[in-house]
Amino acid sequence: MSSRRGLAVMLAPYLLGLAALIVVPAAITFGLAFTEYDLIRPADFTGLSNFAELAGDDVFLISLRNSLTFAAVAVPLRLLGALGLALLLHRRFRGVGAYRTSVYLPTVIPDMAYALLWLWIFNPLFGPLNLFLGLFGDFSPRWLTDPTAAQAAVIVMSLFQIGEGFLVAMATRQEIPGELYELASTEGARPWHVFRRVTLPMMAPTLLLLLFRDTIFSFQANFVPALIVTGGGPPPYATTYLPLFVYRNAFEYLRYGYAAAATLAMFVVTGVVVYLQWRIVRRWRRSFVV
Amino acid sequence: MSGLTLEGIHKTYGDVVALRGLELTAAEGELLVVVGPSGCGKTTALRVVAGLERPDAGRVLIGERDVTRLAPAKRNASMVFQTYALFPHLTAGDNIGFGLRARRMKRAEVTLRVREAAALVRCEEVLDRHPYELSGGERQRVALARALARHPDVFLLDEPLSNLDAQLRVETRAEIESLHRRLGATMLYVTHDQVEALTMGDRVAVMRDGSVEQVGTPEEVYAAPVNRFVARFIGIPPLNILPVTHRGGRFLAGPFSFAMRGNDERLARRPLELGIRPEHLVISTAKGNAVATVALVEVAGPETFIHVDAAGHRLIVRAPGSMRPKLGSELLIGVRRANTLLFDAETGETLS
Repeated sequence: MSSRRGLAVMLAPYLLGLAALIVVPAAITFGLAFTEYDLIRPADFTGLSNFAELAGDDVFLISLRNSLTFAAVAVPLRLLGALGLALLLHRRFRGVGAYRTSVYLPTVIPDMAYALLWLWIFNPLFGPLNLFLGLFGDFSPRWLTDPTAAQAAVIVMSLFQIGEGFLVAMATRQEIPGELYELASTEGARPWHVFRRVTLPMMAPTLLLLLFRDTIFSFQANFVPALIVTGGGPPPYATTYLPLFVYRNAFEYLRYGYAAAATLAMFVVTGVVVYLQWRIVRRWRRSFVV
Repeated sequence: MSGLTLEGIHKTYGDVVALRGLELTAAEGELLVVVGPSGCGKTTALRVVAGLERPDAGRVLIGERDVTRLAPAKRNASMVFQTYALFPHLTAGDNIGFGLRARRMKRAEVTLRVREAAALVRCEEVLDRHPYELSGGERQRVALARALARHPDVFLLDEPLSNLDAQLRVETRAEIESLHRRLGATMLYVTHDQVEALTMGDRVAVMRDGSVEQVGTPEEVYAAPVNRFVARFIGIPPLNILPVTHRGGRFLAGPFSFAMRGNDERLARRPLELGIRPEHLVISTAKGNAVATVALVEVAGPETFIHVDAAGHRLIVRAPGSMRPKLGSELLIGVRRANTLLFDAETGETLS
């Protein structure tokens, strides 16, 4: 067998999977976005009417706003959390393995189990969170029935699933040669100066990668919590994010064409947000390194 | 500028003793080279001075100041690392000015000091470049300039030449020496390379197993080593060593024999060894010389190292490069008693 054929055979499973699970569905979704389709009658080409309808659909606009708000609040917090924990736990010390595991663990719990767990934690009457908050006075948010509190709840849930970002940030921190820190200490740099002038710039490429990745992820991530924990509510659609909007339209209202158009919109929004971030970062980096 | 003193420094890592009662003093303006084999504790000693390691016992003095408990930043010592430790995201100029900026010096003043330091090591033209755009030699200069920029009391250099190629090493060696002379700075220079030690140091400290075996001028440690270890460590190729017996008023060492004199009788009461430097073995047909068979010839440009077997012992002879004896041929070799070293075979101490 020639090496070319060998390569082709080795790549085949991956390429098949990629085609079957990503390329073909994406192409179908793209096509469906310009049709009216309910699984029963044949798809009916309707041009851009789905998009026109989206533009005037209050629920879609609320979902879009919810998703953008979620990304704007959750992504920086998640990144800060991952970075902070990485800087705390990158050293070797007694018990560090247990700490690292406990940071990573929530990330590998199946989404469904994770959501059900939080449903219990957020219970306003007997959930541990409000029991704990009750210790500090009369503060017990109605997590799942108050719109703002429900949005906060979904963000709080996402803040504990930062295992991957944590791991990548920790590995990056460990790659920075110790001598640079030793030099900084003999040169008399204070901790903040060391962080600002050594750690942060040396980790910047990785942190930017995590930022982009997490942004993309955040537009898709909150589907399970929104479905299981808050059910998209409380009214008016406080936790209906784009993924849930798409899901409801496709699988509950059987409006596949409309859902596909919303998916496409979600894709474009993600692209635009990442592009804007990249533009800001480029400008910021130039002034940062000096 | 000020001198530097290490008093009774102990340092252990778990079960490993890195420094045992290290005593070391560098006078103000002195270039003291600390030399020794890997693992002898020389780098640890440097790190203790810098404050990167805290000693278990002992004191570190910079000038009259006891800095043993001070943070690295408060010691006013600059360190040059073996790997240079340049910040990859900063230009050479920002690297040089790093410590000054960290101490909140004004930008304009930092620029002046950076230029001044760069001029001293002649690297002004690379200030705007990043480390990855610099050659090994240029990185070395930038690292030196960074140490200079802060006007420290002492300079600590940890094998600063070991990452350079041979030719650059010789050049940079000379430059550090002349820099030292111009600045009159106190420098502690750690190396495993005895050539660096002998050529650069005002004084040389030879370390082994966490303590200093001998401190002296390069001439002293070469000509009058205090023990067998120092004698063997200093010199290329290393010292030849022969066991010594005595019979009928003569010392017998391998193929050589010497008439005993002075207090030799008293010395001979313990087991002895004779050390002969390869450069002191002379090939000649003089009377009394010993027969040796050529076993290996190493040609090293201007010199030839001839390994010979004589009376069952392997010896190395340092000969002029013009000499190329055939393998298996016989030579006559001799040595003057005055050019030998006598050691106590058990303690390794030099006897005289």
